[in-house]
Amino acid sequence: MRGSQIGFVTRRVRSSLRELLWSHVLTAGTMAMSLFVFGAFMMLQENLQHFLTGLGDQIQINAYLEKGLGASDVQSLQGRIKTFPEVARARHISQEQAWLDFRAALGAQSSLLDGLPRDVLPPSFEIWLKPAYRDGPVVEDLANRLKKEKGITAVEYPQEWVDRLSLVVLAVQWTQWLLGGVLFMATFFIAGSMVKLAILARKDEIEIMQLVGASEELIQAPFVLEGMIQGIAAGAVSVACLWSLFRFLQRQVASSIGLFGAPAQLQFLDLKNIALLLVIGWLLGAAGSLFALRRFVRTWKV
Amino acid sequence: MIQLYHVTKTYPPKSQALTDVNLEIGKGEFVFLAGPSGAGKTTLLKLLFREEELTEGRILLDGKNITRLNGRGVARLRRELGLVFQEFKLLPRLSALENVALAAEVVGIPRRESHTKAYQLLRELGLRDRYDAKPLALSGGEQQRVAIARALVNDPLIVLADEPTGNLDADAADETMKLFFKIREKGTTILIASHDLELIKRYGSRVIALRQGRVADDLHRVKQEGNAR
Repeated sequence: MRGSQIGFVTRRVRSSLRELLWSHVLTAGTMAMSLFVFGAFMMLQENLQHFLTGLGDQIQINAYLEKGLGASDVQSLQGRIKTFPEVARARHISQEQAWLDFRAALGAQSSLLDGLPRDVLPPSFEIWLKPAYRDGPVVEDLANRLKKEKGITAVEYPQEWVDRLSLVVLAVQWTQWLLGGVLFMATFFIAGSMVKLAILARKDEIEIMQLVGASEELIQAPFVLEGMIQGIAAGAVSVACLWSLFRFLQRQVASSIGLFGAPAQLQFLDLKNIALLLVIGWLLGAAGSLFALRRFVRTWKV
Repeated sequence: MIQLYHVTKTYPPKSQALTDVNLEIGKGEFVFLAGPSGAGKTTLLKLLFREEELTEGRILLDGKNITRLNGRGVARLRRELGLVFQEFKLLPRLSALENVALAAEVVGIPRRESHTKAYQLLRELGLRDRYDAKPLALSGGEQQRVAIARALVNDPLIVLADEPTGNLDADAADETMKLFFKIREKGTTILIASHDLELIKRYGSRVIALRQGRVADDLHRVKQEGNAR
Protein backbone atom coordinates (compact mmCIF):
# COMPACT_ATOMS: atom_id res chain seq x y z
CA MET A 1 0.00 0.00 0.00
CA ARG A 2 1.34 3.41 -0.98
CA GLY A 3 1.82 6.27 1.45
CA SER A 4 -0.99 8.30 -0.09
CA GLN A 5 -3.35 5.34 0.35
CA ILE A 6 -2.63 5.23 4.10
CA GLY A 7 -4.15 8.71 4.30
CA PHE A 8 -7.11 7.47 2.28
CA VAL A 9 -7.62 4.50 4.63
CA THR A 10 -7.33 6.74 7.69
CA ARG A 11 -9.96 9.12 6.32
CA ARG A 12 -12.31 6.23 5.60
CA VAL A 13 -11.84 4.85 9.11
CA ARG A 14 -12.52 8.26 10.59
CA SER A 15 -15.66 8.75 8.57
CA SER A 16 -16.89 5.22 9.38
CA LEU A 17 -16.30 5.74 13.10
CA ARG A 18 -18.32 8.92 12.87
CA GLU A 19 -21.15 7.61 10.71
CA LEU A 20 -21.56 4.19 12.34
CA LEU A 21 -20.67 5.30 15.85
CA TRP A 22 -23.32 3.26 17.68
CA SER A 23 -22.61 0.11 15.76
CA HIS A 24 -18.93 0.47 16.73
CA VAL A 25 -19.82 1.24 20.35
CA LEU A 26 -22.03 -1.87 20.48
CA THR A 27 -19.30 -4.10 19.07
CA ALA A 28 -16.65 -2.68 21.37
CA GLY A 29 -19.06 -3.00 24.33
CA THR A 30 -19.68 -6.68 23.61
CA MET A 31 -15.97 -7.31 23.31
CA ALA A 32 -15.33 -5.36 26.51
CA MET A 33 -17.80 -7.55 28.41
CA SER A 34 -16.04 -10.74 27.33
CA LEU A 35 -12.65 -9.27 28.14
CA PHE A 36 -13.96 -8.11 31.52
CA VAL A 37 -15.11 -11.63 32.48
CA PHE A 38 -11.81 -13.07 31.30
CA GLY A 39 -9.89 -10.38 33.14
CA ALA A 40 -11.89 -11.00 36.34
CA PHE A 41 -10.85 -14.65 36.27
CA MET A 42 -7.31 -13.55 35.58
CA MET A 43 -7.45 -11.30 38.62
CA LEU A 44 -8.92 -14.09 40.78
CA GLN A 45 -6.23 -16.48 39.69
CA GLU A 46 -3.52 -13.89 40.25
CA ASN A 47 -4.80 -13.19 43.78
CA LEU A 48 -5.05 -16.87 44.68
CA GLN A 49 -1.54 -17.36 43.36
CA HIS A 50 -0.34 -14.42 45.40
CA PHE A 51 -2.10 -15.80 48.46
CA LEU A 52 -0.45 -19.17 47.93
CA THR A 53 2.97 -17.59 47.57
CA GLY A 54 2.38 -15.74 50.82
CA LEU A 55 1.30 -18.98 52.43
CA GLY A 56 4.40 -20.70 51.11
CA ASP A 57 6.49 -18.31 53.18
CA GLN A 58 4.67 -19.59 56.23
CA ILE A 59 5.06 -23.28 55.44
CA GLN A 60 7.03 -24.89 58.15
CA ILE A 61 7.70 -28.41 59.25
CA ASN A 62 7.42 -29.25 62.93
CA ALA A 63 9.77 -32.04 63.98
CA TYR A 64 8.97 -33.25 67.52
CA LEU A 65 11.85 -34.50 69.64
CA GLU A 66 12.22 -37.16 72.27
CA LYS A 67 11.80 -35.79 75.76
CA GLY A 68 14.98 -35.68 77.76
CA LEU A 69 17.29 -35.16 74.77
CA GLY A 70 20.53 -33.57 75.93
CA ALA A 71 21.59 -30.07 74.82
CA SER A 72 24.54 -31.43 72.86
CA ASP A 73 22.26 -33.91 71.03
CA VAL A 74 19.82 -31.11 70.23
CA GLN A 75 22.65 -28.97 68.90
CA SER A 76 24.11 -31.71 66.74
CA LEU A 77 20.62 -32.60 65.41
CA GLN A 78 20.01 -28.92 64.57
CA GLY A 79 23.36 -28.87 62.75
CA ARG A 80 22.40 -31.91 60.71
CA ILE A 81 18.98 -30.49 59.83
CA LYS A 82 20.56 -27.25 58.64
CA THR A 83 22.73 -29.19 56.21
CA PHE A 84 19.62 -30.39 54.31
CA PRO A 85 19.53 -28.38 51.06
CA GLU A 86 15.78 -27.72 51.40
CA VAL A 87 16.10 -26.09 54.82
CA ALA A 88 16.26 -22.31 55.11
CA ARG A 89 16.43 -22.26 58.91
CA ALA A 90 15.58 -24.39 61.91
CA ARG A 91 14.59 -23.06 65.33
CA HIS A 92 14.67 -25.17 68.47
CA ILE A 93 11.59 -24.92 70.72
CA SER A 94 12.28 -26.23 74.19
CA GLN A 95 9.51 -27.73 76.37
CA GLU A 96 9.50 -24.54 78.40
CA GLN A 97 9.26 -22.36 75.27
CA ALA A 98 6.49 -24.58 73.81
CA TRP A 99 4.55 -24.19 77.07
CA LEU A 100 4.94 -20.39 77.01
CA ASP A 101 3.99 -20.18 73.30
CA PHE A 102 0.91 -22.32 73.87
CA ARG A 103 -0.12 -20.27 76.87
CA ALA A 104 0.29 -17.05 74.89
CA ALA A 105 -1.75 -18.50 72.01
CA LEU A 106 -4.60 -19.39 74.37
CA GLY A 107 -4.67 -15.83 75.67
CA ALA A 108 -7.63 -15.34 78.04
CA GLN A 109 -8.26 -19.09 78.16
CA SER A 110 -4.72 -19.83 79.38
CA SER A 111 -6.09 -20.76 82.81
CA LEU A 112 -7.16 -24.05 81.19
CA LEU A 113 -3.54 -25.08 81.51
CA ASP A 114 -3.48 -24.53 85.25
CA GLY A 115 -2.63 -27.72 87.06
CA LEU A 116 -0.90 -29.33 84.07
CA PRO A 117 2.86 -30.04 84.34
CA ARG A 118 4.96 -27.52 82.38
CA ASP A 119 6.74 -30.29 80.51
CA VAL A 120 3.55 -31.73 78.98
CA LEU A 121 4.48 -30.48 75.49
CA PRO A 122 7.36 -32.11 73.61
CA PRO A 123 10.40 -30.12 72.45
CA SER A 124 10.57 -29.55 68.71
CA PHE A 125 12.25 -27.91 65.76
CA GLU A 126 10.39 -25.40 63.57
CA ILE A 127 11.88 -25.84 60.12
CA TRP A 128 11.36 -23.28 57.32
CA LEU A 129 11.94 -24.25 53.73
CA LYS A 130 13.68 -22.43 50.91
CA PRO A 131 11.12 -21.16 48.29
CA ALA A 132 12.41 -23.56 45.62
CA TYR A 133 11.61 -26.57 47.81
CA ARG A 134 8.01 -25.85 48.78
CA ASP A 135 6.41 -28.34 46.40
CA GLY A 136 4.33 -31.16 47.86
CA PRO A 137 6.55 -34.15 46.92
CA VAL A 138 9.73 -32.34 48.03
CA VAL A 139 8.25 -31.50 51.43
CA GLU A 140 7.00 -35.06 51.86
CA ASP A 141 10.42 -36.46 50.98
CA LEU A 142 12.12 -34.14 53.47
CA ALA A 143 9.62 -35.10 56.18
CA ASN A 144 10.37 -38.78 55.60
CA ARG A 145 14.10 -38.17 55.86
CA LEU A 146 13.61 -36.15 59.07
CA LYS A 147 11.57 -38.97 60.58
CA LYS A 148 14.61 -41.24 60.16
CA GLU A 149 16.84 -38.88 62.17
CA LYS A 150 17.72 -40.11 65.62
CA GLY A 151 15.90 -38.11 68.34
CA ILE A 152 12.91 -37.14 66.16
CA THR A 153 9.65 -38.84 67.11
CA ALA A 154 7.14 -37.25 64.75
CA VAL A 155 6.99 -34.80 61.84
CA GLU A 156 4.01 -32.58 60.89
CA TYR A 157 3.52 -30.27 57.91
CA PRO A 158 0.47 -28.47 56.43
CA GLN A 159 1.20 -29.48 52.86
CA GLU A 160 -2.01 -31.35 52.18
CA TRP A 161 -4.31 -28.36 52.17
CA VAL A 162 -1.75 -26.19 50.44
CA ASP A 163 -1.85 -28.79 47.67
CA ARG A 164 -5.63 -28.56 47.63
CA LEU A 165 -5.44 -24.80 47.29
CA SER A 166 -3.01 -25.25 44.42
CA LEU A 167 -5.62 -27.42 42.77
CA VAL A 168 -8.18 -24.65 43.21
CA VAL A 169 -5.80 -22.22 41.52
CA LEU A 170 -5.35 -24.68 38.68
CA ALA A 171 -9.13 -25.08 38.38
CA VAL A 172 -9.57 -21.29 38.25
CA GLN A 173 -6.88 -21.11 35.59
CA TRP A 174 -8.60 -23.75 33.47
CA THR A 175 -12.01 -22.15 33.95
CA GLN A 176 -10.54 -18.81 32.93
CA TRP A 177 -9.22 -20.20 29.64
CA LEU A 178 -12.23 -22.42 28.91
CA LEU A 179 -14.77 -19.70 29.66
CA GLY A 180 -12.52 -17.16 27.98
CA GLY A 181 -12.32 -19.41 24.91
CA VAL A 182 -16.12 -19.69 24.67
CA LEU A 183 -16.57 -15.97 25.25
CA PHE A 184 -13.90 -15.09 22.72
CA MET A 185 -15.44 -17.36 20.11
CA ALA A 186 -18.81 -15.68 20.68
CA THR A 187 -17.20 -12.24 20.56
CA PHE A 188 -15.30 -13.18 17.43
CA PHE A 189 -18.55 -14.01 15.63
CA ILE A 190 -20.33 -10.96 17.01
CA ALA A 191 -17.46 -8.75 15.83
CA GLY A 192 -17.64 -10.51 12.48
CA SER A 193 -21.39 -9.89 12.21
CA MET A 194 -20.90 -6.24 13.04
CA VAL A 195 -18.29 -5.96 10.30
CA LYS A 196 -20.77 -7.58 7.91
CA LEU A 197 -23.28 -4.89 8.86
CA ALA A 198 -20.64 -2.23 8.30
CA ILE A 199 -19.83 -3.80 4.93
CA LEU A 200 -23.50 -3.81 3.97
CA ALA A 201 -23.82 -0.19 5.04
CA ARG A 202 -20.96 0.67 2.69
CA LYS A 203 -21.78 -1.83 -0.03
CA ASP A 204 -22.19 0.83 -2.71
CA GLU A 205 -18.91 2.44 -1.80
CA ILE A 206 -17.07 -0.90 -1.89
CA GLU A 207 -18.68 -1.77 -5.22
CA ILE A 208 -17.57 1.53 -6.73
CA MET A 209 -14.08 1.11 -5.31
CA GLN A 210 -13.89 -2.34 -6.90
CA LEU A 211 -15.09 -0.94 -10.22
CA VAL A 212 -12.45 1.78 -10.31
CA GLY A 213 -9.65 -0.69 -9.56
CA ALA A 214 -9.09 -0.51 -5.81
CA SER A 215 -7.03 -3.44 -4.57
CA GLU A 216 -8.53 -5.97 -2.17
CA GLU A 217 -6.12 -4.78 0.54
CA LEU A 218 -7.24 -1.18 0.17
CA ILE A 219 -10.89 -2.18 0.43
CA GLN A 220 -10.31 -4.42 3.44
CA ALA A 221 -7.79 -2.29 5.35
CA PRO A 222 -10.29 0.20 6.83
CA PHE A 223 -12.49 -2.60 8.18
CA VAL A 224 -9.53 -4.40 9.75
CA LEU A 225 -8.26 -1.14 11.22
CA GLU A 226 -11.71 -0.39 12.62
CA GLY A 227 -11.75 -3.89 14.17
CA MET A 228 -8.37 -3.27 15.77
CA ILE A 229 -9.46 0.08 17.16
CA GLN A 230 -12.64 -1.49 18.56
CA GLY A 231 -10.60 -4.31 20.11
CA ILE A 232 -8.08 -2.03 21.79
CA ALA A 233 -10.87 0.27 23.00
CA ALA A 234 -12.71 -2.79 24.37
CA GLY A 235 -9.50 -3.93 26.12
CA ALA A 236 -9.03 -0.48 27.66
CA VAL A 237 -12.67 -0.32 28.81
CA SER A 238 -12.44 -3.79 30.36
CA VAL A 239 -9.25 -2.82 32.24
CA ALA A 240 -10.99 0.34 33.52
CA CYS A 241 -14.00 -1.73 34.69
CA LEU A 242 -11.70 -4.27 36.35
CA TRP A 243 -9.93 -1.43 38.14
CA SER A 244 -13.29 -0.15 39.42
CA LEU A 245 -14.18 -3.67 40.59
CA PHE A 246 -10.80 -3.99 42.26
CA ARG A 247 -11.21 -0.68 44.09
CA PHE A 248 -14.71 -1.67 45.19
CA LEU A 249 -13.51 -5.02 46.53
CA GLN A 250 -10.56 -3.39 48.20
CA ARG A 251 -12.82 -0.97 50.05
CA GLN A 252 -15.77 -3.23 50.83
CA VAL A 253 -14.54 -6.78 51.09
CA ALA A 254 -10.80 -6.90 51.62
CA SER A 255 -10.85 -6.80 55.40
CA SER A 256 -13.58 -9.45 55.67
CA ILE A 257 -11.78 -12.04 53.58
CA GLY A 258 -8.69 -12.01 55.78
CA LEU A 259 -7.47 -15.47 56.61
CA PHE A 260 -5.50 -16.63 59.60
CA GLY A 261 -6.12 -13.28 61.23
CA ALA A 262 -4.17 -11.35 58.62
CA PRO A 263 -6.13 -9.15 56.20
CA ALA A 264 -5.73 -10.32 52.62
CA GLN A 265 -3.91 -7.91 50.31
CA LEU A 266 -5.83 -7.78 47.02
CA GLN A 267 -3.70 -7.50 43.92
CA PHE A 268 -4.68 -5.80 40.65
CA LEU A 269 -3.59 -7.25 37.32
CA ASP A 270 0.09 -6.79 36.66
CA LEU A 271 1.30 -4.95 33.53
CA LYS A 272 1.85 -8.19 31.66
CA ASN A 273 -1.80 -9.21 32.10
CA ILE A 274 -3.09 -5.74 31.25
CA ALA A 275 -1.06 -5.89 28.04
CA LEU A 276 -2.45 -9.39 27.42
CA LEU A 277 -6.04 -8.10 27.66
CA LEU A 278 -5.27 -5.30 25.20
CA VAL A 279 -3.55 -7.68 22.81
CA ILE A 280 -6.45 -10.17 22.99
CA GLY A 281 -8.88 -7.31 22.25
CA TRP A 282 -6.74 -6.14 19.36
CA LEU A 283 -6.48 -9.65 17.93
CA LEU A 284 -10.20 -10.35 18.39
CA GLY A 285 -11.12 -7.17 16.52
CA ALA A 286 -8.68 -7.79 13.68
CA ALA A 287 -9.46 -11.51 13.34
CA GLY A 288 -13.24 -10.94 13.50
CA SER A 289 -13.00 -8.36 10.72
CA LEU A 290 -10.71 -10.46 8.54
CA PHE A 291 -12.92 -13.51 8.97
CA ALA A 292 -16.05 -11.58 7.96
CA LEU A 293 -14.28 -9.92 5.05
CA ARG A 294 -12.91 -13.17 3.71
CA ARG A 295 -16.31 -14.80 3.76
CA PHE A 296 -18.09 -11.75 2.44
CA VAL A 297 -15.93 -9.90 -0.06
CA ARG A 298 -14.54 -13.03 -1.69
CA THR A 299 -17.99 -14.30 -2.54
CA TRP A 300 -19.03 -10.87 -3.65
CA LYS A 301 -19.10 -10.51 -7.39
CA VAL A 302 -17.97 -7.19 -8.77
CA MET B 1 -7.20 -2.62 -28.59
CA ILE B 2 -10.04 -5.04 -27.86
CA GLN B 3 -9.95 -8.57 -29.30
CA LEU B 4 -12.45 -11.32 -28.61
CA TYR B 5 -11.86 -14.84 -29.92
CA HIS B 6 -14.63 -17.45 -29.82
CA VAL B 7 -16.04 -15.96 -26.65
CA THR B 8 -18.86 -17.91 -25.07
CA LYS B 9 -20.57 -17.16 -21.79
CA THR B 10 -22.97 -19.60 -20.21
CA TYR B 11 -24.79 -18.87 -16.97
CA PRO B 12 -25.64 -21.95 -14.93
CA PRO B 13 -27.38 -24.19 -15.57
CA LYS B 14 -27.60 -23.74 -19.35
CA SER B 15 -28.41 -20.13 -20.19
CA GLN B 16 -26.13 -19.12 -23.05
CA ALA B 17 -25.63 -15.33 -22.94
CA LEU B 18 -22.92 -15.15 -25.61
CA THR B 19 -22.03 -17.72 -28.24
CA ASP B 20 -18.79 -17.81 -30.20
CA VAL B 21 -18.32 -14.04 -30.39
CA ASN B 22 -15.34 -12.82 -32.44
CA LEU B 23 -14.54 -9.12 -32.50
CA GLU B 24 -11.69 -6.70 -33.03
CA ILE B 25 -11.94 -3.06 -32.02
CA GLY B 26 -9.04 -0.77 -32.82
CA LYS B 27 -7.45 1.98 -30.77
CA GLY B 28 -9.48 5.18 -30.79
CA GLU B 29 -12.54 3.56 -32.34
CA PHE B 30 -16.02 4.67 -31.33
CA VAL B 31 -18.26 1.62 -31.27
CA PHE B 32 -21.87 1.04 -30.41
CA LEU B 33 -22.92 -2.36 -29.13
CA ALA B 34 -26.52 -2.57 -30.21
CA GLY B 35 -29.31 -5.05 -29.70
CA PRO B 36 -32.51 -5.65 -27.81
CA SER B 37 -32.65 -6.55 -24.11
CA GLY B 38 -31.12 -9.97 -23.49
CA ALA B 39 -28.95 -9.81 -26.62
CA GLY B 40 -25.77 -10.06 -24.53
CA LYS B 41 -24.55 -6.44 -24.60
CA THR B 42 -24.16 -6.04 -20.86
CA THR B 43 -22.65 -9.53 -20.51
CA LEU B 44 -20.03 -8.62 -23.10
CA LEU B 45 -19.12 -5.44 -21.23
CA LYS B 46 -18.99 -7.34 -17.94
CA LEU B 47 -16.56 -9.81 -19.50
CA LEU B 48 -14.38 -6.89 -20.58
CA PHE B 49 -14.15 -5.36 -17.13
CA ARG B 50 -14.11 -8.81 -15.56
CA GLU B 51 -17.23 -8.67 -13.48
CA GLU B 52 -17.95 -11.98 -15.19
CA GLU B 53 -15.61 -14.74 -16.29
CA LEU B 54 -16.04 -16.18 -19.72
CA THR B 55 -16.86 -19.86 -20.23
CA GLU B 56 -14.85 -20.36 -23.41
CA GLY B 57 -12.60 -18.30 -25.65
CA ARG B 58 -10.06 -15.56 -25.13
CA ILE B 59 -10.14 -11.79 -24.63
CA LEU B 60 -7.18 -9.49 -25.20
CA LEU B 61 -7.17 -5.86 -24.10
CA ASP B 62 -4.27 -3.80 -25.43
CA GLY B 63 -2.56 -7.09 -26.25
CA LYS B 64 -2.94 -8.51 -22.75
CA ASN B 65 -4.92 -11.67 -22.14
CA ILE B 66 -7.49 -10.90 -19.47
CA THR B 67 -9.14 -14.30 -19.55
CA ARG B 68 -7.60 -15.59 -16.37
CA LEU B 69 -6.77 -12.89 -13.85
CA ASN B 70 -6.58 -13.03 -10.07
CA GLY B 71 -8.05 -10.32 -7.81
CA ARG B 72 -4.96 -8.14 -8.09
CA GLY B 73 -4.94 -8.53 -11.88
CA VAL B 74 -8.60 -7.54 -12.13
CA ALA B 75 -7.92 -4.42 -10.01
CA ARG B 76 -5.00 -3.49 -12.30
CA LEU B 77 -7.13 -4.08 -15.41
CA ARG B 78 -9.92 -1.82 -14.14
CA ARG B 79 -7.46 1.02 -13.56
CA GLU B 80 -6.94 1.07 -17.33
CA LEU B 81 -10.65 1.19 -18.04
CA GLY B 82 -13.23 3.91 -17.55
CA LEU B 83 -16.65 2.56 -16.67
CA VAL B 84 -19.92 4.42 -17.09
CA PHE B 85 -23.30 2.99 -16.09
CA GLN B 86 -26.93 3.83 -16.71
CA GLU B 87 -27.57 4.34 -12.98
CA PHE B 88 -24.47 6.57 -12.56
CA LYS B 89 -23.23 4.72 -9.42
CA LEU B 90 -22.25 7.86 -7.51
CA LEU B 91 -21.91 7.96 -3.74
CA PRO B 92 -24.63 10.25 -2.39
CA ARG B 93 -22.69 11.36 0.69
CA LEU B 94 -19.74 12.59 -1.38
CA SER B 95 -19.66 15.77 -3.46
CA ALA B 96 -19.22 15.63 -7.24
CA LEU B 97 -15.54 16.47 -6.78
CA GLU B 98 -15.04 13.78 -4.12
CA ASN B 99 -16.80 11.18 -6.25
CA VAL B 100 -14.42 11.84 -9.11
CA ALA B 101 -11.33 12.10 -6.90
CA LEU B 102 -12.17 8.80 -5.16
CA ALA B 103 -11.29 6.87 -8.31
CA ALA B 104 -7.87 8.54 -8.43
CA GLU B 105 -7.18 8.17 -4.73
CA VAL B 106 -7.80 4.41 -4.68
CA VAL B 107 -5.09 3.90 -7.28
CA GLY B 108 -2.59 5.80 -5.16
CA ILE B 109 -2.70 9.34 -6.53
CA PRO B 110 -2.21 11.76 -3.59
CA ARG B 111 -5.34 13.51 -2.33
CA ARG B 112 -4.38 17.01 -3.44
CA GLU B 113 -3.41 15.85 -6.93
CA SER B 114 -6.59 13.77 -7.20
CA HIS B 115 -8.74 16.72 -6.26
CA THR B 116 -6.96 19.04 -8.70
CA LYS B 117 -7.38 16.52 -11.51
CA ALA B 118 -11.02 15.92 -10.60
CA TYR B 119 -11.72 19.64 -10.58
CA GLN B 120 -10.09 20.13 -13.99
CA LEU B 121 -12.20 17.33 -15.45
CA LEU B 122 -15.42 18.64 -13.96
CA ARG B 123 -14.58 22.06 -15.37
CA GLU B 124 -13.95 20.57 -18.81
CA LEU B 125 -17.28 18.77 -18.62
CA GLY B 126 -19.11 21.97 -17.75
CA LEU B 127 -19.56 21.42 -14.02
CA ARG B 128 -17.27 24.13 -12.75
CA ASP B 129 -19.96 25.63 -10.52
CA ARG B 130 -21.37 22.30 -9.41
CA TYR B 131 -18.25 20.54 -8.14
CA ASP B 132 -19.28 20.92 -4.52
CA ALA B 133 -22.83 19.63 -4.99
CA LYS B 134 -23.96 16.23 -3.75
CA PRO B 135 -25.26 13.91 -6.51
CA LEU B 136 -28.87 14.19 -5.36
CA ALA B 137 -28.72 17.94 -5.94
CA LEU B 138 -27.63 17.40 -9.55
CA SER B 139 -29.79 16.70 -12.61
CA GLY B 140 -29.56 13.32 -14.37
CA GLY B 141 -27.37 14.76 -17.10
CA GLU B 142 -25.05 16.39 -14.54
CA GLN B 143 -24.80 13.16 -12.57
CA GLN B 144 -23.85 11.29 -15.73
CA ARG B 145 -21.20 13.92 -16.48
CA VAL B 146 -19.77 13.41 -12.99
CA ALA B 147 -19.74 9.65 -13.65
CA ILE B 148 -17.94 10.25 -16.96
CA ALA B 149 -15.42 12.50 -15.21
CA ARG B 150 -14.79 9.69 -12.73
CA ALA B 151 -14.31 7.25 -15.61
CA LEU B 152 -11.71 9.57 -17.15
CA VAL B 153 -9.79 10.61 -14.07
CA ASN B 154 -7.21 7.81 -14.39
CA ASP B 155 -6.67 8.44 -18.14
CA PRO B 156 -8.12 5.11 -19.31
CA LEU B 157 -7.24 3.44 -22.60
CA ILE B 158 -10.82 2.31 -23.06
CA VAL B 159 -14.15 3.67 -21.87
CA LEU B 160 -16.94 1.12 -21.49
CA ALA B 161 -20.43 2.54 -21.09
CA ASP B 162 -23.54 0.50 -20.41
CA GLU B 163 -26.69 2.34 -21.52
CA PRO B 164 -25.19 5.70 -20.44
CA THR B 165 -28.17 7.68 -21.71
CA GLY B 166 -30.82 5.27 -20.47
CA ASN B 167 -31.85 7.53 -17.58
CA LEU B 168 -31.49 10.83 -19.41
CA ASP B 169 -33.85 13.03 -21.38
CA ALA B 170 -33.10 13.75 -25.04
CA ASP B 171 -31.07 16.92 -24.43
CA ALA B 172 -28.98 15.37 -21.67
CA ALA B 173 -28.45 12.26 -23.80
CA ASP B 174 -27.25 14.46 -26.63
CA GLU B 175 -24.85 16.30 -24.32
CA THR B 176 -23.51 13.00 -23.00
CA MET B 177 -22.87 11.62 -26.48
CA LYS B 178 -21.03 14.78 -27.46
CA LEU B 179 -18.82 14.28 -24.43
CA PHE B 180 -17.98 10.75 -25.51
CA PHE B 181 -16.93 12.02 -28.94
CA LYS B 182 -14.78 14.66 -27.29
CA ILE B 183 -13.11 11.96 -25.23
CA ARG B 184 -12.51 9.85 -28.34
CA GLU B 185 -10.59 12.74 -29.90
CA LYS B 186 -7.84 12.12 -27.34
CA GLY B 187 -7.38 8.61 -28.73
CA THR B 188 -9.48 6.78 -26.16
CA THR B 189 -11.40 3.77 -27.41
CA ILE B 190 -15.11 4.05 -26.67
CA LEU B 191 -17.49 1.11 -26.48
CA ILE B 192 -21.11 1.95 -25.68
CA ALA B 193 -23.87 -0.60 -25.15
CA SER B 194 -27.28 0.79 -26.08
CA HIS B 195 -30.63 -0.36 -27.30
CA ASP B 196 -31.61 3.17 -28.38
CA LEU B 197 -31.70 2.87 -32.17
CA GLU B 198 -32.32 6.59 -32.71
CA LEU B 199 -29.20 7.45 -30.76
CA ILE B 200 -27.17 4.83 -32.59
CA LYS B 201 -28.36 6.07 -35.95
CA ARG B 202 -27.42 9.61 -35.02
CA TYR B 203 -23.96 8.93 -33.60
CA GLY B 204 -22.82 5.47 -34.53
CA SER B 205 -19.63 5.26 -36.54
CA ARG B 206 -19.34 1.54 -36.05
CA VAL B 207 -22.23 -0.56 -34.83
CA ILE B 208 -21.92 -4.14 -33.66
CA ALA B 209 -25.36 -5.66 -33.42
CA LEU B 210 -25.89 -8.57 -31.07
CA ARG B 211 -28.84 -10.90 -31.29
CA GLN B 212 -29.39 -13.83 -28.93
CA GLY B 213 -25.79 -13.77 -27.86
CA ARG B 214 -24.28 -13.76 -31.33
CA VAL B 215 -22.83 -11.01 -33.53
CA ALA B 216 -25.60 -10.42 -36.05
CA ASP B 217 -24.04 -7.43 -37.80
CA ASP B 218 -20.88 -5.36 -37.72
CA LEU B 219 -21.45 -2.12 -39.61
CA HIS B 220 -18.61 0.27 -40.29
CA ARG B 221 -20.18 3.51 -41.30
CA VAL B 222 -19.00 6.83 -42.48
CA LYS B 223 -17.99 9.01 -39.59
CA GLN B 224 -20.83 11.09 -38.34
CA GLU B 225 -19.07 12.98 -35.60
CA GLY B 226 -19.74 16.11 -37.60
CA ASN B 227 -23.39 15.71 -36.73
CA ALA B 228 -22.53 15.18 -33.15
CA ARG B 229 -20.65 18.41 -32.96
